[in-house]
Amino acid sequence: MEKEIAEIKENSIKEISNCREEKELNALKVKYLGKKGELTVVLRGMGNLAPEERPIIGSLVNQVRDELETLMKEKEKEFKRKELEKKLKTENIDVTEPSKKVNLGSLHPITQIIDEVEEIFLGMGYQIADGPEVEKAIYNFDKLNTPPDHPARDLQDTFYITEDIVLRSQTSPVQARVMENQKPPIKIICPGAVYRSDSVDATHSPVFHQIEGLVVDKNIAMTDLKGTLEMFAKKCLGENTKIRFRPHHFPFTEPSAEADVSCFVCGGKGCRVCKGEGWIELLGCGMVHPNVLKNCGIDPEEYSGFAFGFGVERIAMAKFGIEDMRLLFENDVRFLKQF
Amino acid sequence: MKASVEWLKEYSDIDIDSVTLGDILTMTGSKVETIDQLGNDIKNVVVGKILKIEKHPDADKLVVTKVDVGTEKLQIVTGANNIKEGDIVPIAKDGSELPGGVKIKTGKLRGVESCGMMCSIGELNLTLADYPNQIEHGIMILDKKLERELGKDIVEVLNLKEDIIDFEITSNRPDCLSIEGLGRETAASLNKPFKNPRKNIDEMQVETKQELEGLKVDIEAPDLCYRYVARMVKNVKIAPSPEWMVRRLKACGIRSINNIVDITNYVMLEMGQPMHAFDINSIEGKHITVRCAKKGEKITTLDEQERQLEEENLVIADDEKAVAIAGVMGGLNSEIEADTKTVVFESAIFYGGSVRKTAKKVGLRTESSSRFEKGLSAENALRAANRAVELVELLGAGEVVEGKIDVYPTKQKINQIPLDVPRINSLLGTNLSKQEMMNILKQLDIKVEKDMAIAPYFRMDLEFVADIAEEIGRFYGYDKLDTTLIKADTTLGIRNKEQNIQKKVKEVLVNSGFSEIYTYGFVSERDLELSNISEEIKKYAITIQNPLSDEYKLMRPTTIPSMMQILATNANKKNQNVKLFDLSRSYKDVKQEVQKGEVPLQEEILTVGMYGEDIDFYTLKGIIENILEAISINHYEIEKETENTSYHPGRCANLKVGMDTIATLGEVHPEVLDNYMISKRAYLAEVNITKLVKYARANKKYTEVPKFPAVERDIAVIVDEEVEVGQIEKMVTRKAKKLLESMQLFDIYRSEKLGENKKSVAYSLVFRDKNKTLSDEEINHTMEAIVSELEKQLGAELRKE
Repeated sequence: MEKEIAEIKENSIKEISNCREEKELNALKVKYLGKKGELTVVLRGMGNLAPEERPIIGSLVNQVRDELETLMKEKEKEFKRKELEKKLKTENIDVTEPSKKVNLGSLHPITQIIDEVEEIFLGMGYQIADGPEVEKAIYNFDKLNTPPDHPARDLQDTFYITEDIVLRSQTSPVQARVMENQKPPIKIICPGAVYRSDSVDATHSPVFHQIEGLVVDKNIAMTDLKGTLEMFAKKCLGENTKIRFRPHHFPFTEPSAEADVSCFVCGGKGCRVCKGEGWIELLGCGMVHPNVLKNCGIDPEEYSGFAFGFGVERIAMAKFGIEDMRLLFENDVRFLKQF
Repeated sequence: MKASVEWLKEYSDIDIDSVTLGDILTMTGSKVETIDQLGNDIKNVVVGKILKIEKHPDADKLVVTKVDVGTEKLQIVTGANNIKEGDIVPIAKDGSELPGGVKIKTGKLRGVESCGMMCSIGELNLTLADYPNQIEHGIMILDKKLERELGKDIVEVLNLKEDIIDFEITSNRPDCLSIEGLGRETAASLNKPFKNPRKNIDEMQVETKQELEGLKVDIEAPDLCYRYVARMVKNVKIAPSPEWMVRRLKACGIRSINNIVDITNYVMLEMGQPMHAFDINSIEGKHITVRCAKKGEKITTLDEQERQLEEENLVIADDEKAVAIAGVMGGLNSEIEADTKTVVFESAIFYGGSVRKTAKKVGLRTESSSRFEKGLSAENALRAANRAVELVELLGAGEVVEGKIDVYPTKQKINQIPLDVPRINSLLGTNLSKQEMMNILKQLDIKVEKDMAIAPYFRMDLEFVADIAEEIGRFYGYDKLDTTLIKADTTLGIRNKEQNIQKKVKEVLVNSGFSEIYTYGFVSERDLELSNISEEIKKYAITIQNPLSDEYKLMRPTTIPSMMQILATNANKKNQNVKLFDLSRSYKDVKQEVQKGEVPLQEEILTVGMYGEDIDFYTLKGIIENILEAISINHYEIEKETENTSYHPGRCANLKVGMDTIATLGEVHPEVLDNYMISKRAYLAEVNITKLVKYARANKKYTEVPKFPAVERDIAVIVDEEVEVGQIEKMVTRKAKKLLESMQLFDIYRSEKLGENKKSVAYSLVFRDKNKTLSDEEINHTMEAIVSELEKQLGAELRKE
C-alpha cells in the first residue's frame, strides 16, 4: 500500500510539473484528488487494512494530498500570472500621448501679488481691511492732513464726482475709516483699486492697485517700521534683499521716508529693471502724522504708528518681467494663462 | 530743481565729485533725479591756429589746412568755408572724443591725410544761444585773444565743464526750490559750515516809505497777500546780462531775456522768492492795488494769451486795470521793454492756496506759481527785493531809488517747538542725547532756547515735534536706524468671512479652467448701450466731473460691459475656448447719495464670461452651482428671466437665495454679441458676492453618514413642453417631504408617439429615513402622492412602458 502511495505521489508530481495549461491541471485534480481520484480510491481501500496500519496510511495519504494541493495551487498561480502577463502585454499604451486633463484657469498677476503680500502680513498678525472706492473727499484728503488748499490735492490729479465725493486716489482712506472705528492696537493692510488722472501708457494707468499698511499702538517707533518692511521685503522678494530708507515727504506721515530695495532682478549689481542703480524704489512710508491720528480720534500723545504703501502693478511687472502695464488690463487669455 | 554744483559752492565747500555729492544729498532727503556732467564728454580738443589754407588736389569742396596746436603743426582737411588763415579754432586731435561718443582719428580724405578735425559749436554740444556770434553750420571761430592758449584744452579755455544736478524737491520744502536752500542742505549734509554770501543783504537796513517817487501800494485782500515789498530803479539801461548770469540761469533751465528780467529770475533761483518787474509808466495813477479780480475781468499775460479771471483770483492792478495775475504771471501791458526807464521790482507773498487755484483756473503753472502754492516765507520777500537792486548796481543796469515800500499786514509767525528728547527718541527708535540732537539742529539753523526749537524763517514746514524728529532722523541718518520688531500685544491675522468666501469662489473658478481678469471701473454711455443695459440701471451710473475721456466718463452701474469688452478682445484675437471671471465692483447711485455727499452703493460682483466648444447655458449653471456648493449654500431657486435685455430672453435665469436675487446667468443676447462683433454664442453670469456672503459658510459642517439603507425609485411623466423641469422638481420635493434624499433627472424624451408639444421627463428618486429602514408601503404611499400632485398641478401623465 505504501508503495502504491509513493508511486501515485511520484507520478502525480511529475505530471503536475509537466502540466502546461489550466485545463490539464484541472484534469489532474480530478485524476488524483477527485471523488474517484487515485488518492481518494486509496483512502477508500483502507477498510481492508489492519486497524493498526490505518492511521499510518491515513496520515500518509493526507500528507501526500496536502503536498499535491500545494503544488497545484502554485501551478495555478503560475498559470494566472502567465495569463495576466499576456493580457498586460496587449494593454500596452504610449505614455507620451497627450493627457486628458481638466484645464486649470489662472489668477491674475495682480491678485497673485496681493495674495502673497496678504499672506506675509496675515502671518505677522495683520488684518485685511477694505473700503469704498467712490469715497468722501474728507477721508481721501482732509482727515489725512491734506486740507482743501493743500498742493497734494493737485499733484495727485484726483477724479472728482462732486466737490465732496472723489474716486479714492489712494487706499489711505481705508486707514482713516479703520482708525475712526477701532481702538488701538491696529494692524491692518488695505489692498485695493485706486484712481488717478493719468493717461494710459506702458507705465501708467488711471486705475491701479495699492497695498497700504497701518500700525497704531503705544510706543511704535520708526525702527519698527524699518524692521517690518525689511522682513516683508525679504519674504516677498528674497532673503538677500536689502532695504534702504531715504527721507521724503507725505502729508500724512512725519517723519516720512521712501524705501528702496536692492534690485531683485540683478541683486544690486545694476540692470535694466533698476536702471543700473542697483536699487528699486519700492514704497513710501513714515510715522503717522499727529494730525492724522487726531483727526481720526486717536490721541497722538498716547499712541504712535507707522504707515506704508506701494503700487501692486509695479511689483507685478518687475517680478514677472512684464514690460507694458497695458497687458495687465487687456486680459488676453494667452497672457493670463501664463500665470 | 536744477542746480549747478559751481553755484552751490558759493554756499558750502564741496570737495567731492558730483556723483558722491548727489548720493549724500539723496540720503538726506534731496533726491537726485539726474546729474548732467557737461564738458566731460569732450576729450583732447584743443585751441589751434590756422596757418595756411590750400585747395585739395582732388576735391573742389575740400581744403587742406596747416594748423598750429602749440606742441606741433597738423595737416587737417575740411569742407568748411567760413575759415581763413589766422583764425583761432577748436581742433579735435587724433584720438579725441566729442559729445555723443564720437571718436576722431587720423585718416585720409580723398587721398590726403587729415590728422584731426575742426569743430563747429554743435559738435561741442553748444548752441547759438550760448554763442550768438557764431554760425550754426561752420567752424567755431574763437576769440583772437585765445592765440595765447594754443594747444590748451578747449573745455578749460571755454570753461565748458559744468555739473548740473536735478533734485526732486518735496512739497514741504519750497525753501529748497532755491540755490540758497540747497546750499544749506549741502552744507549740513557734508557737515561743513554754511558760508552765507548774502550776509550783507541780511544786515541791510532800508527805510520804509509811504511812496516811492509817487508810487503807492495798497493791499485790499490781506488774507491773500501777506506782504508786498517794492523797490525802484531809475535810468534803467536795458541790456543783455553778463555771461556768468546767463550761464547760471541756463544751468537752471531758464532762458536769458534782458538784464532786468534776468535779475528777477536770478533772484528767484538764488533765494526762492518769485519776483516781478514792471515799467512804472504803464501803472495808471502810479498806484498799485492787490485785489481780487472784478467780475468778467480779463488780462493778457506776458505769453500774449488773453485770460478770463474769476472773482476769487488775485491780481495786481493799477487804478484802471489788472497788470499781473498775482503769483502766476505778469501782464503784457506792463512788460519791460527796450525803452523802459523806471522799473519797479515787486517781491510779494501770496496765499499759496489762492495761487494754486488761480493757476489752475487760468491753466498756467509757472516757476512762480509752483513756488507760491507751497507757501513762501514773508521774511524772505524783503531780502529778495534788496538783492535784486544790489544786482542792478552790480550790473550797472540803473540807479537804485533810496527806500522801499513795504506793506506787511500779517507778520510771519516763527514756530517754536518743544525739543522733547524722549518723545523724539521713542518716535525714531533711537537713543540720542540732547546734545547730539542740538548739534544736528544747529547745522540746520534751528536754534534751541529753553528747550524750545526755534524754526528759522525759511522753515515754515516745522510745526510739530514729529517735524523736529524728522530733521534729527535724516541727519542722524535713516540708514543708521535699527531694524526692530513691534513690541506690542499679539494680534490675530485672519481673513474675515467675506474675504474667505471670495478666496473660495476664486479657487473654484480657477480649478474649473477660468482665468481671472482685471477691468477698469469706468464705462462710457456707448458701452452701456452696446450691452443693452436697461434704462433703470443706466440711471444709477455715476458721472465723473473730470474724466480722462468720454470712454471713461461713468462709473459702471453693472459689470456686463467690462466683461463683454474683454470677451470681444479675445474673440477679435481669435482665442478659442475663453473662460473668464472678474471679481470687482459695480457702483450704483441708487438713492442720489452722491449729491448728498454720501458714498453710493458699491457691491462686489463676480462676473463670469465665456464662449467656446461644448459650452452652453448648463455649463454656466454648473459652474455657478459648484460655487454655491463650495460655500455651503444648498438652498436656492433658479427661475427663468425674460426681461433682462442683455441676455437671450429664452436662455436666462435668476438665482434666488432666501429673499435675494443673488445672480443672473444666461446666454448673451444676440444683439449684444453682434454689437461686440462676437460671432459665437457667449455666456454671462453676474453674482452679487456682497449679498451672497450672508448666506454662505466658508467652513463646512459634518453631517452623519446614513446608517439605514436608501430606496431608489424611478418615475417618468409626460408633460407639456412649457412645463419646466424645475416645476416638477419643486412639487416632488414638496410632496416627498423629508424622505427625499436626492432626485436626478436622467432623461428627457420626445417622440411622435408622445405627441406634439409633449415631453417625457424621467427621474431617479432616492428616499431615505435617517432613523429607520423604509418600508415598501411608505414609499408607495409617497410615490402616489407625488404622481397625483403632478397630475393635478401640471397635467402630467404617468408614463407606463
